[in-house]
Amino acid sequence: MQTTPTQSAPCTDAQLVDYAASLDCVHCGLCLRTCPTYELTGRESASPRGRIHMMRSVAEGELKPDAAFIDELDLCLLCRHCESACPSGVNFAAMLEHTRARLLDSSERSWLVRRALGLGLGRVLPSPRWIAFLAGALRFLQRLGLVQLASRLPGKVGQAAAACPPVPPARERRALPRHTPALGQRRGSVSVLEGCIMPPLLGRVNRATVAVLAAAGREVHCPRGASCCGSLHAHNGDLQGARELARRLIDKHSGLLGDDGELLPIVTNSAGCSSHMKHYGALLADDADWAERAAVFGKQVFDFSEYLVRFAFDDLRPALGPLEVAQPICWDDPCHLCHGQGIRDEPRALLDALSIERVELKESESCCGSAGLYSVLRPLDSRAILAPRLAALKATGARTLVSANPGCQLQWSGGLRQTGSEVEVLHIAELLERALAHGRESGE
Amino acid sequence: MAHLRAIVGEEGLLEDSSRAAPYECDGLAHERCRPEVVLLPRSTLEVSKCLALLHSHSIPVVPRGAGTGLTGGATPVEGGVLLGTARMRRVIEVNAKDRFARVEAGLVNIDLTRACCDEGLFYAPDPSSQAACSLGGNVANNSGGPHCFKHGNTTRHVIGLVIVMANGEVLDLSAPEVDPVGYDLVGLFVGSEGMFGIATEVTVRLTPTPEAIETLLGVFASLDDACDSVSAIIAGGWDASALEILDKLTIAAVEASVFAAGYPKDAEAVLLVEVEGSAVECHENAEGILAILADHGVLEVRRAQSERERQKLWAARKGAYGAMGRIAPDLYVSDVVVPRTKLREMVRATTDICTARGLKILNVFHAGDGNLHPNISYDRRDSDELRRVIEAGDEMARVCVEAGGTLSGEHGIGLEKLAQMKLYFSDEDLELMHTVRRAWDPSQNMNPGKLLPIRACMETRTRPVPVEASGRAGS
Ligand SMILES: Cc1cc2nc3c(=O)[nH]c(=O)nc-3n(C[C@H](O)[C@H](O)[C@H](O)COP(=O)(O)OP(=O)(O)OC[C@H]3O[C@@H](n4cnc5c(N)ncnc54)[C@H](O)[C@@H]3O)c2cc1C
Ligand code: SF4
Ligand code: SF4
Repeated sequence: MQTTPTQSAPCTDAQLVDYAASLDCVHCGLCLRTCPTYELTGRESASPRGRIHMMRSVAEGELKPDAAFIDELDLCLLCRHCESACPSGVNFAAMLEHTRARLLDSSERSWLVRRALGLGLGRVLPSPRWIAFLAGALRFLQRLGLVQLASRLPGKVGQAAAACPPVPPARERRALPRHTPALGQRRGSVSVLEGCIMPPLLGRVNRATVAVLAAAGREVHCPRGASCCGSLHAHNGDLQGARELARRLIDKHSGLLGDDGELLPIVTNSAGCSSHMKHYGALLADDADWAERAAVFGKQVFDFSEYLVRFAFDDLRPALGPLEVAQPICWDDPCHLCHGQGIRDEPRALLDALSIERVELKESESCCGSAGLYSVLRPLDSRAILAPRLAALKATGARTLVSANPGCQLQWSGGLRQTGSEVEVLHIAELLERALAHGRESGE
Repeated sequence: MAHLRAIVGEEGLLEDSSRAAPYECDGLAHERCRPEVVLLPRSTLEVSKCLALLHSHSIPVVPRGAGTGLTGGATPVEGGVLLGTARMRRVIEVNAKDRFARVEAGLVNIDLTRACCDEGLFYAPDPSSQAACSLGGNVANNSGGPHCFKHGNTTRHVIGLVIVMANGEVLDLSAPEVDPVGYDLVGLFVGSEGMFGIATEVTVRLTPTPEAIETLLGVFASLDDACDSVSAIIAGGWDASALEILDKLTIAAVEASVFAAGYPKDAEAVLLVEVEGSAVECHENAEGILAILADHGVLEVRRAQSERERQKLWAARKGAYGAMGRIAPDLYVSDVVVPRTKLREMVRATTDICTARGLKILNVFHAGDGNLHPNISYDRRDSDELRRVIEAGDEMARVCVEAGGTLSGEHGIGLEKLAQMKLYFSDEDLELMHTVRRAWDPSQNMNPGKLLPIRACMETRTRPVPVEASGRAGS
């Protein structure tokens, strides 16, 4: 499938902004300190309050949406940390996505960037074949050592190459089975989202997710032809593409019903995806044919740790045994899990059920700089955002870092690799899977 | 401009209208003036070089911390330069043994406590904006906070400063002597609202974390009862560390926000009380206060059962201002002090002043200090409503001063209360203040037009020389 990126209809400056939403901000400043880009630069125009102030000024005709304006909005990671700090309930992410969507084709941006973004969002991400092809090609280049060579280049290209995750061998990149039976007694069924970049880069995480769910007595479905949720499209201004992908995903899952005739829970191991999919209702609110289905679908979406703790903790617990992992471990809250979905306690509860030594990471709710395509589009900023986080991790003495979002996992791994650190980065599903393996062995 | 850029570096000078726009105002959003240049220096030396250069061209300078001030203190002035401390946020030294810390002025208040909490210490002044405001801003406004009822406002905690004077000269007052010889310049500087110079480093006293803390939440059927119990607690000599009142509308706003902490939505008012000290003191004080609350018809008392619950109660209290953004786009936060024996009457009086003008008022305040914060939710786009808000602000200040109170408890005067200074001070008083200011800054280019009302005939202000015209939108 291919989506057609929005050709932003010519709109007035005022229409660039969701003016009503910008009025929710009372300018109290409580969000400033949470914003990674403000922390990095000290510029208020790179802070949530400043960005809202600029947007409101544009809507009120007091500011021209010039290149500097666009650049400050582009610098935003959409990490939503500001929303967690905002007592006034400002919907920052939605406001920014609204403006990004209308700026997508702004002539203030370079032609090359616009083309590349259009191609990436419109063709590559929605297509598992394209992704598989590119992953294969990248692995080839990596094996030839060309990527490593490029990483020595100065500037953006070098940074991008250095940040490029190693592509695992083909056998790790294979798709998930459509159907995996429950292990032992079946206690329910779920469907899982395979994701767009997960299969080629983190296929092992997908397999771990399925293994853990199966061990908790869940029969696991994975419908074909519905991989990308469209969150990257929405974050980068392609709301039209995001809507098309949402409809496709809802459609592909529609036949998967539980014993009670209700739509099966959709379990997602990527916080960025689950956070986005929970809002399908809002995304398709203006589409009469889809609004209701989208709202129902959104309610059935669960993040991996949320689902396990809420519905399957007791079923899973007996399957867990001692595991081998370098300790202490620490948990890094993915932005779209803690700020996007308010999920903070569930992953900690799962980790603590494993009886391993866990330390808290300072400012664990701060963004690591991955932020979807951000690490690709703005590699230098992305690395600068990660730097203080690497230092904080080092200070904990942790030897394993656990996360629950593919972007974060790749970003941390990349940063640690570059600094020569030995800390291992695992998805929480991988960690649980390790405990299962041991549980089974010792039970046998 | 090139000279300035050479001092602060490429990233430290903003002059395009987009990047300058967010600096138009502080928390007093209806007073706006877009700066033509924003400087973000990284060190005392850079501040000093900038000020020296600006001084030689007689260009006015407005200092800015985090821009959370509520009185327009950091609002830029026409033809002036805005100098922000947001890139000066280092903790230079934490001395746990002698219990002090030396930090750069742009450090966010809460980061100071974070930097020393592992040593069993904390920085006591805790403005509700502590998650954002800077130490420099706290010094300039002599800020308070809920726990300043026991621990005192900022001035009681600042023991040293490094100040860059208007002409760029650096005045190092940071030697941690207990009692400075000669005039206490540090004490004089605290509360100077950016008009004496720019503080670049602050040395503050740290306070040991108390052995025990008890947090009580009294629920009342009327705001009057809550006010009266505060008067009684103080009259009874009970040692509370914080006494805060939130009224019904405030509770509703907070409970709808991310900081919801389970405040009862049907209560007319709640009183948040904290006591601290040794376990025994804490217990005694809490019991004494509980008895008083019972005498004043408290409906229910909740005690925080864990540190986490306590933190939540406070986060909700501190998010209260912002939470009012749910009601209307703008918020006017008044700050007046009334005699604590007249708490109930004055809360009534200020409420009446607002309701008579058709304004929506919410009350959340430091009851222990008699420091009222009548908050008016409004929309600055409605010019008539804005006019009524300003009028109500003036009127509230007038009645409070008449009742024996003062103009400001902690937010300062800035632009907002300029006209009202004359209510409280005689011409001689004001002239004396002008003299002190001229002693610090003969050029009077530091934050001009704030705090001290300018009398047209007597004032001889050097006309600011505009910095190169920049491409301002619309001009
Ligand atoms: C939600 C909210 C809650 C608040 N709660 C409280 C409260 O409980 N108690 C309280 O007292 N205040 C409170 N305030 C007001 C405000 O936060 C304080 O006045 C704070 O100290 C301002 O700090 P700032 O860094 O934001 O300073 P700014 O607003 O940037 O500046 C304030 C003043 O200080 C000057 N200034 C700033 N930095 C320097 C420096 N380095 N050297 C010299 N002058 C400087 C500026 O010119 C200006 O006059 C609150 C504000 C908000 C928005
Ligand atoms: S989403 Fe993140 S980066 Fe963007 S303004 Fe909010 S806190 Fe800053
Ligand atoms: S915390 Fe919310 S209301 Fe306050 S400045 Fe930030 S976005 Fe605006």
